[in-house]
This record gives sequence, C-alpha cells and structure tokens, in this order.
Amino acid sequence: MIFARVIGTVVSSQKDPNLSGKKLLLCREVDHEGKPLKSYHVAVDAVQAGEGSFVLLSYGSSARMTEETKNAPIDAVIMAIVDDVQITHWSGDE
Amino acid sequence: MKLGRVVGVVWASRKVKEMDGCRMYILQPVSSEGVSTELPLVAADPKGLAAPGDTVVYVTSTDATQAFDSGYAPVNASIVELVDGIS
Repeated sequence: MIFARVIGTVVSSQKDPNLSGKKLLLCREVDHEGKPLKSYHVAVDAVQAGEGSFVLLSYGSSARMTEETKNAPIDAVIMAIVDDVQITHWSGDE
Repeated sequence: MKLGRVVGVVWASRKVKEMDGCRMYILQPVSSEGVSTELPLVAADPKGLAAPGDTVVYVTSTDATQAFDSGYAPVNASIVELVDGIS
C-alpha cells in the first residue's frame, strides 16, 4: 500500500462493462507526511473518498480483492482513508 | 518474506470491509543487524501480532492477501510473524 492524495476525478463515458458504476479518481503518491512524490495513479474508489482526501492505495492484483473491484480490469484501488500517521520509532537514517 | 521493524502506526477509520479490525503499520525493512535496507512501506497486521518497535517478518505482493483468514483483502504487504530473536 502507498499513501496518496486524491487530486481529481476521471470522467469517462465509454469503458469496459466491468468498470461501469465505478468511480475513478486521479491520485498523486505522497509520503507519510502528505508531501507529494512523483507518481500519479488512476484508482477505483472503494471508500467514498473525495477530492483532497489523504488515502491508502493498493495496487497490482491485490487491488481486485474488494467487493467493489471483484473481477474488474483494474490495478489500483483506494482501500482506506487515512485519519492520522504516527511515527513512533523512526531511526533517522532513512 | 523479509525482516522489518514497526516504526509507525497508520490510523484509518474508514476502510473497505475486507480490512475491518485490521491494523496497519509503517515498516522499515531491516537487515538481521537492524540496519535499514529499503524504503519504508505500509503493511497490514491481520493477526494482530505487532506493536510499534517490534521486529517482524512480512510478505509482499499478492501473497500478502493469504495472511488474512479469508485470503481476500486489498493489501500489498502483511505482517506474518513477530520476531523474538535472530541467532
């Protein structure tokens, strides 16, 4: 799982039938503090995230393992909305 | 499977129902001497094994889903063992 910030909605009228009814959100990868990183992902929203939400994104075949994304041709899903991240034992050398 | 140290906690009250009751932690991959080897990652703890500061064994990729009793959860990494010691 990676941290991401929802930065937009992807609208599409022609798509694979298995994607119909699924909300696609444009997400930018961020670090644990919410600082933007380089990569962007289009992810299916399984938790009613909104624009600006700090979320956790699962990718690859694991992304299909939710009720919302079963059997769909997808490789990224928003599976949690992050309330808080607490660093407790950072060693300081990362 | 790899060694990691629990360095942080991720709080998320709203998540997919496959993840109900499952805690998530930030892991720092480490060597047997405790030296950082890769960038930190987020891992699920489906069996409730770990606490901050612990050294654990984790699995990544699709195999991480097998750490759940259901074998079905949208995770990329799961904690599967709590390490008592390495000899």
